[in-house]
Amino acid sequence: MAEIAESVVGAGATPDDRRARSERGFVTGIVSAALIWLAMQLGLNLLFELAGPTGAWVAFLLPWACLAFAVLSLAGMYSTRSGPVVVGSNRLRRNAYGWWLLAAFLLLMAILGESAEPIFDPLGKFGGIIVEFCSDHGLFWGVAAALVGAALVIAGTDTLQANRPGLVERVLVLNLTAKIAAIPMAVVAVAVFLGGTIWTVVYSFTNSKLLPRAQFVGLDQYERLWSTNRWIVSIENLMIYGICSLILSFIIGFTLAALMDQKIRFENTFRTIILYPFALSFIVTGLVWQWILNPDFGVQSIIRGLGWESFTFDPLNNADIVIFGILIAGLWQGTGLVMVLMLAGLRGIDQEIWKAARVDGIPAWKTYLFIVIPMMRPVFITTLVIIASGIVRLYDLVVAQTSGGPGISSEVPAKYVYDYMFQGQNLGQGFAASTMMLLAVAIVVIPWAYLEFGSKNRG
Amino acid sequence: MANPAVMSQTAAGFDAVSRQLEGPQGPKPRKRFSRANIFIYGTLIVVAFYYALPLYVMIVTSLKGMPEIRLGNIFSPPVEITFEPWVKAWSQACTGLNCDGLSRGFWNSVQITVPSVIISILIASVNGYALANWRFKGADTFFTILIFGAFIPYQVMLYPIVIILREIGLYGTLWGLVIVHTIFGMPILTLLFRNYFTSLPEELFKAARVDGARFWGIYFQIMLPMSLPIFVVAMIIQVTGIWNDFLFGVVYTKPDTYPMTVQLNNIVNSVQGVKEYNVNMAATILTGLVPLTIYFVSGKLFVRGIAAGAVKG
Repeated sequence: MAEIAESVVGAGATPDDRRARSERGFVTGIVSAALIWLAMQLGLNLLFELAGPTGAWVAFLLPWACLAFAVLSLAGMYSTRSGPVVVGSNRLRRNAYGWWLLAAFLLLMAILGESAEPIFDPLGKFGGIIVEFCSDHGLFWGVAAALVGAALVIAGTDTLQANRPGLVERVLVLNLTAKIAAIPMAVVAVAVFLGGTIWTVVYSFTNSKLLPRAQFVGLDQYERLWSTNRWIVSIENLMIYGICSLILSFIIGFTLAALMDQKIRFENTFRTIILYPFALSFIVTGLVWQWILNPDFGVQSIIRGLGWESFTFDPLNNADIVIFGILIAGLWQGTGLVMVLMLAGLRGIDQEIWKAARVDGIPAWKTYLFIVIPMMRPVFITTLVIIASGIVRLYDLVVAQTSGGPGISSEVPAKYVYDYMFQGQNLGQGFAASTMMLLAVAIVVIPWAYLEFGSKNRG
Repeated sequence: MANPAVMSQTAAGFDAVSRQLEGPQGPKPRKRFSRANIFIYGTLIVVAFYYALPLYVMIVTSLKGMPEIRLGNIFSPPVEITFEPWVKAWSQACTGLNCDGLSRGFWNSVQITVPSVIISILIASVNGYALANWRFKGADTFFTILIFGAFIPYQVMLYPIVIILREIGLYGTLWGLVIVHTIFGMPILTLLFRNYFTSLPEELFKAARVDGARFWGIYFQIMLPMSLPIFVVAMIIQVTGIWNDFLFGVVYTKPDTYPMTVQLNNIVNSVQGVKEYNVNMAATILTGLVPLTIYFVSGKLFVRGIAAGAVKG
């Protein structure tokens, strides 16, 4: 009875150990087989071949090892699920899913067999036989298997005398609607975010030019990247922009938030004015500041018009300080966000702290510096991560404000990636540069994730 | 002696003295003009002034004629107000060979934004609901990948998506861009909805289950009516985000289907011809108008939107 209840509730079940072990093995097998297949698709087998005869052996054996693992664990699952096959029992349905899986496999192979690319090459001769069989008869047998499965489901549906369902059923039936609903998320997460990232990283080791080609050249692209002047300038600019932007937006944002937190009137008005740039796009921001900093009409000409004839403030046309011109615009757009986040953090501080500090006669600025700010550590860290990952992406602003000029003096990595990928027809460089950007973000995000979520697990 | 100025001064002095003599009445007045308050308001007003300045410059510039711009400074209000630049920016400004102004970009952006917002919110709300209330094995893994995906630089995933779109034949079309926006809106929106649905009392969900409601039943009859505010927040995030996007627009569309931001940049930063700053600024305002309107109308919900993704991760 308890098992039925579990099967109905689904989540939070405590399966018996033996079953759990075999099922875990099954899942691991399937997942690793899928990963290997993916890796082969990505051309990793070529990497293995490059590694010499040993590598070739690994490349040859690994898929087979995986397949064997999957089959063994599947068998293991069924062996631990022994019990009588009764018509009208849940086990018939469970078998049906096996048939459907088989049908799906056959149909997939039939489709894949049609395509020109020999996907299953690394599986060797046997794989070839499978593909050949499926391309000829896969369609028929696939449909047949699907029908058998359907028949089994119909035969097995009309009863609730179920023992606890096995893994296949739990994967496919329990919470089925929820799982179907979550398919877009799963596909995006795995295919785009994970798959796309891996793909780019792998292809950054190739000499792809106009089209991606799986010709691996080791670290060549990275060597070329780091010996390109434009990339070095990009990195320097990003460092200057990033550090200044972080420090200044934190100081300004926090100061403004602290001022706004003094129970002032018109708080909404002030917040609305300070935050509105955040609603504007970087393109709009860049163009406005391009206009304001215009040497002939903007700030410089106005101050000269006031009588200070020698005044020079022309950041957008001076290669040495152009990045600060961009910084001004970036800060104008982004500090509102920092302020709002900080304000939310300040509002989260217990008001008793303030009373206690006042009773002890601690001046307000000291309370902020030594009590409130340390208490706001999580808010600071979250803001830092958001701002930092935004900084690495800096692109639109530069394009709009300076287009990277004068010369290459305001280039940034994101622009480098775009230009090489979509205009320079040098995909390999683009991939290598974007991988470096990924690395930069990983350096910020992974420690944060570890702090934020790792500690939660420890309690 | 009979100087009126001195007279009035002394009168004022008497007044003050007599008030002092009367002594304080009522509750202790809040010091409205203490030194601290002057400092706070002074700083905030200066800062607000600084932040508002570019918007002012944009509007003022767009209302001037070119001769006036060449003569005057950018901060002075227009002497002769003209709407010519706005008309020109909307329907005549040139990008490359096309000279039909920003209007095309505007309609492209509308055609991109509306379906992207609807689709991404539908998908993300159902995802968030499944993650919050129908937790299944492996869900957290996908969710973690998704959240990390929010931090991965877009540049890393640009080309694989080009390949995917090319394979399904949508590369360069508006619908391709819709898919891209749906994909990249997913992390933040799913997080938003998941957190919101988790915060709803679980008893509601359990009661509905006991009464026999299933996945979609609970979603449509209980969760949806209760979460209209969060849908509005999601809409604000998405509309502003998608409208303001530049990178995806420039990568995944062709000149015919460029969204407004890309077209704006092409108009303003085009090298040919005489620079018409008033037209440029009019075009810039036109592009910023949609998100600005949303921002000023939605008020606190906008703030809630940006805080939602950030403060509680």
